[in-house]
Amino acid sequence: MDEQNDGLPIIELDGISKIFGSVTALDNLSIKIRPGATGLLGPNGSGKTTLIRTILGLIKPHSGRGKVFGLDIRTRQLDIRRQIGFAPEDDALFPGVHGIESVAYAGELCGMPHSEAMQRAHEVLDYVGLGEVRYRKVESYSSGMKQRLKLAAAIVHDPRLLIMDEPTNGMDPAGREHILKLANDLAANKGMSLIFSSHLLPDVEAVCRRILVLSGGKLLIEGDISELKKVHPSSFDLRLKESTATFAEHIRAAGCEVEFLGEILRVKIPAGQTRELLWRQAVVHGVQIRHLRPQQSTLEEVFLGAVEHA
Amino acid sequence: MPIVEQGYQHWSGRLSGHTWRWLTVARQGVRIQFRNRFLRYLLFAAWTPAFLLVCALSIWGLLERKSKAMSTIIAFLRFMNPHVIRQPQYYSSEIWILVYGYFMHVELMFSMILVLVVGPGLISQDLRVNALPLYFSRPLRRIDYFVGKWAVIGFFIGMVTILPTIVAYLFGALFSLNWTTVINGLPIALSAIAYGLVICICAGTLMLALSGLSRNLRYIALLWLGVWFISSVMSAVLAESHNGALRSEYFHKVSQHPVVRLANPNTGAVPVVQGPGYWRKAWRHFEVYQWRADHHDWRPLLSFTGDLSRVGDHLLGTNDAWKKLAALEPAQRQRIRLLIHFGGPWYPWYWSAAVLVGLWVISVGILRWSVRSLDRLK
Repeated sequence: MDEQNDGLPIIELDGISKIFGSVTALDNLSIKIRPGATGLLGPNGSGKTTLIRTILGLIKPHSGRGKVFGLDIRTRQLDIRRQIGFAPEDDALFPGVHGIESVAYAGELCGMPHSEAMQRAHEVLDYVGLGEVRYRKVESYSSGMKQRLKLAAAIVHDPRLLIMDEPTNGMDPAGREHILKLANDLAANKGMSLIFSSHLLPDVEAVCRRILVLSGGKLLIEGDISELKKVHPSSFDLRLKESTATFAEHIRAAGCEVEFLGEILRVKIPAGQTRELLWRQAVVHGVQIRHLRPQQSTLEEVFLGAVEHA
Repeated sequence: MPIVEQGYQHWSGRLSGHTWRWLTVARQGVRIQFRNRFLRYLLFAAWTPAFLLVCALSIWGLLERKSKAMSTIIAFLRFMNPHVIRQPQYYSSEIWILVYGYFMHVELMFSMILVLVVGPGLISQDLRVNALPLYFSRPLRRIDYFVGKWAVIGFFIGMVTILPTIVAYLFGALFSLNWTTVINGLPIALSAIAYGLVICICAGTLMLALSGLSRNLRYIALLWLGVWFISSVMSAVLAESHNGALRSEYFHKVSQHPVVRLANPNTGAVPVVQGPGYWRKAWRHFEVYQWRADHHDWRPLLSFTGDLSRVGDHLLGTNDAWKKLAALEPAQRQRIRLLIHFGGPWYPWYWSAAVLVGLWVISVGILRWSVRSLDRLK
């Protein structure tokens, strides 16, 4: 994955703006997306869907330039779409066909010969776990099956980039787990780049190495999740064997700020001090520390922090 | 659970270009439609007139060759002018035109039924299950989608109009074994093909537009029946009421002025004299009067199939063929009666063409509005 992230950008957008009536969907947006899995985050109306459609060449921006796989988004839309698989957010089916026909048809629409599309449809349906229901009418599929069917249809032509828009929306935990596993496998093991748009931050974190956070059509944050989830050197999460309340009083007296997070104490030590202060206090008061580690921001905190600042 | 987990394999084939992408949409549509048993029966029924067309042209080919096989069949052709039977090669083109004309007239009705069976779900079903994002996120343009869907209707109409036309031409030419027939028949067959294309284009585009208006198949089917059936009924009712008004006006005049000179458009002013046979003569005269009025009557334009039929008649030249055959009748009265009862409609063909072009433009506008690309879709 590190190698992939170091590769040349597959998507480069420079100063892209798109306005729908009085709404600015994308506001002078400049981004570079490198190979690998990238999470696309943002509140409703932040411009995620418009960005995806711009990448697919379905929207002509009012200003700015953009390239996907080196192809201009204004002039080479069809060539771009040949290299992308897109699983849309809403329920979307080809009507009146079996699962196998639906996926094969999706492949043919991308330019695959019929026989190869049919053979490939069998393979990808097995891969997403729909092999047993391939001859069932798609209208009879459950929500989870439909999501997996959309994924199968999106990867049937073996695209270089897979875009998944809210792929786990409305799914039960098992189905969600399955989709995340597939997305992770494709991105991490099969060399397929992935743009994963979701409101569910744990899902993004489970699949993606990098994120883009949009708000109001602007880019708020981009980068590796591991880097964005920064470590706080003077703040620690602490769990004890005994009652936390008494110990909290002792370390407050020593100048620490203490916050209760259930069984965990979040302790901010005074400037100039190290974690040794906590160990010393534990020894002095005969308390056994079971868990002590520097506080690390969650993706949720990163996201909320970015959106609040915007 | 599968016994052996199938991992993801890369595909190393080549994707084809964009030019024929519409054909994929069309092929899929045709494949799905053929699962409809009723449609298969309907196609079978629609090929019956095609069989008769092939038989008619083949028989005419044998007649031209003075084949012995015709000695028994010729008895069934007594309704035709003896002059035509005696010299069939001189009237070959006219007979071909009229046979094709009748064939297309019947197939026009079958085409309307086929469109009713095939068309309503083409776009409405895609709208109902939100299939458009699946289409337009792939290397497919809106025009490819429309052409592909239209081609599904075009395929079935072509199966019952264009394909039999070609087969009939080949059989007719084969049985006549006459180069003149082969050469003269070609433009007629091409005209019939052009007529079939006009039906495909007009009916196909109109049905697609209707299909894009609703997600409910029943509403679309009702709309189509309205366009086809009700427009024809309305046109016929209006035309008949107009004729009734003409008739009343005419016979009112005649009854008030027993001796009048009634203008006959073909023979000039002919005195109609009161006396024996007065009313019979007046009626005949009225028929000519009405025929003359039909040349400027706009009411048939209200019928969609009437408009298709008028343009088709013009392409085939059926009125001219009737005029040539009518010229064989010895009496002028018979000539005119033949034209009145078998020829027509007589109003300018380009009126109908203008109506069809207008409907086509409206249909395209509806399609552009109802089937939006993902730039506006949620």
